[in-house]
Amino acid sequence: MAFVPAHRFGITSGPETLTEKLWRVQWLVLALIVLIGSVGVSALYSVAGGSFEPWAEQHALRIAVGLAAVIALSLVPVRFVLGMAYPVYFLALALLAAVPVIGIVQMGARRWIGAGGLQLQPAEIMKIAVVLALARYYQWLAPERVSRPMWVAIPLVLIAMPVAFVLKQPDLGTAILIALLGLGLMFLAGVHWAYFAGGVASVAALAPILWSYLHDYQKKRVQTFLDPDRDPLGAGYHILQSKIALGSGGLNGKGFMSGTQSQLNFLPEKHTDFIFTMFAEEMGFTGSLTLLVLYGVLIALLFAMALGARNQFSRLVIAGSSVTLAIYVAINIAMVTGLAPVVGVPLPLVSYGGTAMTTLMIAIGIAMSAHVHRSEALRRGDLSL
Amino acid sequence: MMFQSDPDDAAQRRQFTRRAFLLGGVQAAVGTAIAARLWHLQVEEHGRYGLLADENRINVQFVAPERGRVLDRFGIVLAANREGYRAVLVPSLARDVKGVLSRFAKVVPLSADEQERLVQRAARQSPNVPLIIVQDLTFEQISAVGVHAPHLPGVATEAAPTRVYFHGKTVGHIVGYTGAIERIAMDDDPILRLPGMKTGRSGIERGREAALRGTAGVVQSEVDSRGRIVRHLDRVEPASGHDVVSTIDTELQRTVLTTLSSFRRAAAVVLDIETGEVLVSASIPTFDPNDLINGRANPRGWQRLKTGLDDPMTNRATRGVYPPGSTFKMVTALAAAEAGVIDLKEKITCDGTFEYFDKTFRCWKRSGHGACDFHSAMKQSCDCYFYEIVRRTGIDAFAAMARKLGFGQTYDCGLAGLKGGLVPDPDWKRGRFGKGWLGGETILAGIGQGYVLATPLQLAIMTARLASGKSVTPTFVRRSTQEVAPAFAPIPGKPEWITAIRRALAAVVNESGGTGAKAKPEDGSFTVAGKTGTSQVGRASSETAQLDLPWELRDHALFVCYAPIDKPRYAVSVIIEHGGGGGATAAPLARDILEKVIARDPLGKSAWPGVSPASPVRRAAATDVKRES
Repeated sequence: MAFVPAHRFGITSGPETLTEKLWRVQWLVLALIVLIGSVGVSALYSVAGGSFEPWAEQHALRIAVGLAAVIALSLVPVRFVLGMAYPVYFLALALLAAVPVIGIVQMGARRWIGAGGLQLQPAEIMKIAVVLALARYYQWLAPERVSRPMWVAIPLVLIAMPVAFVLKQPDLGTAILIALLGLGLMFLAGVHWAYFAGGVASVAALAPILWSYLHDYQKKRVQTFLDPDRDPLGAGYHILQSKIALGSGGLNGKGFMSGTQSQLNFLPEKHTDFIFTMFAEEMGFTGSLTLLVLYGVLIALLFAMALGARNQFSRLVIAGSSVTLAIYVAINIAMVTGLAPVVGVPLPLVSYGGTAMTTLMIAIGIAMSAHVHRSEALRRGDLSL
Repeated sequence: MMFQSDPDDAAQRRQFTRRAFLLGGVQAAVGTAIAARLWHLQVEEHGRYGLLADENRINVQFVAPERGRVLDRFGIVLAANREGYRAVLVPSLARDVKGVLSRFAKVVPLSADEQERLVQRAARQSPNVPLIIVQDLTFEQISAVGVHAPHLPGVATEAAPTRVYFHGKTVGHIVGYTGAIERIAMDDDPILRLPGMKTGRSGIERGREAALRGTAGVVQSEVDSRGRIVRHLDRVEPASGHDVVSTIDTELQRTVLTTLSSFRRAAAVVLDIETGEVLVSASIPTFDPNDLINGRANPRGWQRLKTGLDDPMTNRATRGVYPPGSTFKMVTALAAAEAGVIDLKEKITCDGTFEYFDKTFRCWKRSGHGACDFHSAMKQSCDCYFYEIVRRTGIDAFAAMARKLGFGQTYDCGLAGLKGGLVPDPDWKRGRFGKGWLGGETILAGIGQGYVLATPLQLAIMTARLASGKSVTPTFVRRSTQEVAPAFAPIPGKPEWITAIRRALAAVVNESGGTGAKAKPEDGSFTVAGKTGTSQVGRASSETAQLDLPWELRDHALFVCYAPIDKPRYAVSVIIEHGGGGGATAAPLARDILEKVIARDPLGKSAWPGVSPASPVRRAAATDVKRES
């Protein structure tokens, strides 16, 4: 028998050598991460009153480690990622389900911080896992069945389960993020638009019932959002102060380290969730628009990568990272500008904090893996549900 | 070619592209909406918000909580806060920092150098963060600053308590001190970003930082464009830190320090065997933390302590590591018994030397001790006996027993910066020197020399564990308000050997020929069991008389003991650096210390209390009774 190259059977091999793989990495994406990350470093330097401690230096380090992780992940074969999709999803789901149980035991031991870390972690893993699971699902599902009711119900359940657990924690911001992310992926996978229209209509109809399930503080946040002036020194205080700081920044800002409002008047979480306010006060509309455009370019670049992929799994995984980023940015900026209620979502790559950064870097790393191995054909026939 | 082989994918790809553009359109719309919002807020509404920002600022400031106090076991205050006032300057409100400072200097003395330093500092930092210009204002100065306020924009006075230490010379090592925040302590607690905030740097101040610190309060106020408060809006009071009650008996500590005061460097620990509470932890020389709390006001005092002779800032009781010498022989004996390589009756002959391959190890007694069983070997501290049994035991079993008796580790005892000493084993040596373990090193370890290092606190722990048969763990802070003695797990080791060790330790002090005879109380009012140790410092030949050697090369004198023998209550360890023989120098000191400890025991010398004597209330009552009688 003569030697028959593998691709004759429709199995094509992707890039083989390390150099080949590295050559295919979308370096522009990494450059944008560095650029946006540097905005974060300088903003954190300013928040600390002109000091690299305790935030800016650590933030720079995290960006560097994150970039290394993105490059390392991009070398992982996309087939391996595909194989891990369901296991990772169900592991994350099991961890989420276990959180209340473990959490209570630990509270008894008064290890609140330990429990807090545990509560946070599974929800973060889930942001990636839900993308993987949905991408894996649509890679398997025949295109003509995508919009059939039964095959729409399955991904809805895949999304609803983690959302329910996260809501219980309670973490409204993360729950909204996972739900939007999952629905976005379903939309990209080609589910008929009528489902989305119906969904929006039924949420509107069910809103009063959902309202009763919200926690008191969550209700208060929404009420405050709708009418910030009703409690200017209580719950509405954040939004009002944030708006004053932003507005007083003007077109060109007050200058680096000279933001009077965010430096002197204390904004809560000004190094995390409200970092954009501080940045926009000091850099003005010019600065905030520049940052917004940088995010836009990064989001668009990731989408372009998705369009170039040769299979549904890669497309959805790459698009997932783009949508994750977009949702983070949109919710955070909408929140600090008073367009959305305060839900506690950080500004990716700029806010101080390791968790959200880790999640985003891993998501982009996996997307990069799909991009690097984009010419690899993953056959539907090889998969089971 | 291969792509065409999958027609499904082509269709899917077209579908995906379509949807991607739709979603992209939605995102672009959201992005535009956000950009429009920013334009609205930052450009269109700039005038309104700018006005709001300038003329009607809502200022939110943290209020530092009061730091908790440190008390001794009877409630004597060791560390507290003193009211003080300081002047601060916000550069952005002052605008002309240099001018304001020179005007300020006419009101409150401020040297030209200091002014220059502050101007530079202001240029480097954010103009909105207050700068401390003068600490410790007098009341006259405060009112003077108030009177001149119109000429001093940006200057304000504020309350800033300073830490003050009582009995500093006596308990300085234990209480520790506070200082400007180190980098390592920078966590996300917003309090730490307040100017002038201080955190614990050593001792209990550092070890119990979390309890002492408290949580910040918040003041919301309306201020005008010059930073003057128009009205207060809201105030959340800070929550003061908790008081920490130390286990130290300050009076006793002072007495022990006096006992040791004739030596250059020394340390002693007194441990309550039943509770693990450290009653005394003395280290000579001492320092007074009051000299450190205001480094800038007193830079010379700080330097003097930092570089002082015999490094006074080192707490030798918990951070001094010494070769424990013969006080380690109990470890050797228990390890050998556990390994089953010796029984109590076996006699080993000592002719003054011990041959191991080509090396010769000497017994401290050149003429030898003759044939010794365990009891007489321990009583006379015969080195050859222990060389032989540790040779049989091997280093690994020996090291394991040393760790079980409390060596080679630190304790979470409320005090920061404990040293773990060293229990050497082959793994450690490979890691440290990259060389294999030598048999001769085992022999030396068997008499507490060579690589073995222990702190006085660890020696007291070992003594307490042998005396009680329980794994006593030490504490420098009261574990709880309840007077329940903690339940320690039993120590490993054969019971008949632990009994034999206790008998031998009693013999060291009480039988003729024992090395620790000087530890026996002169009036015989209570009984003591103990062990001497004389650990070699350099490689000085044993022929030279100790007193002919330079001080730094003389042996360390050690003694560990517990009392009373029948119902052990107190464990004591004493080390005199370069003090010569343990039996001659350290043993009588240990006796003096024990006499003081027992004299302070609330229920008299004969009756031994079943519970802790530690309650301030009970203690006070007991002394009252004594005074009356």
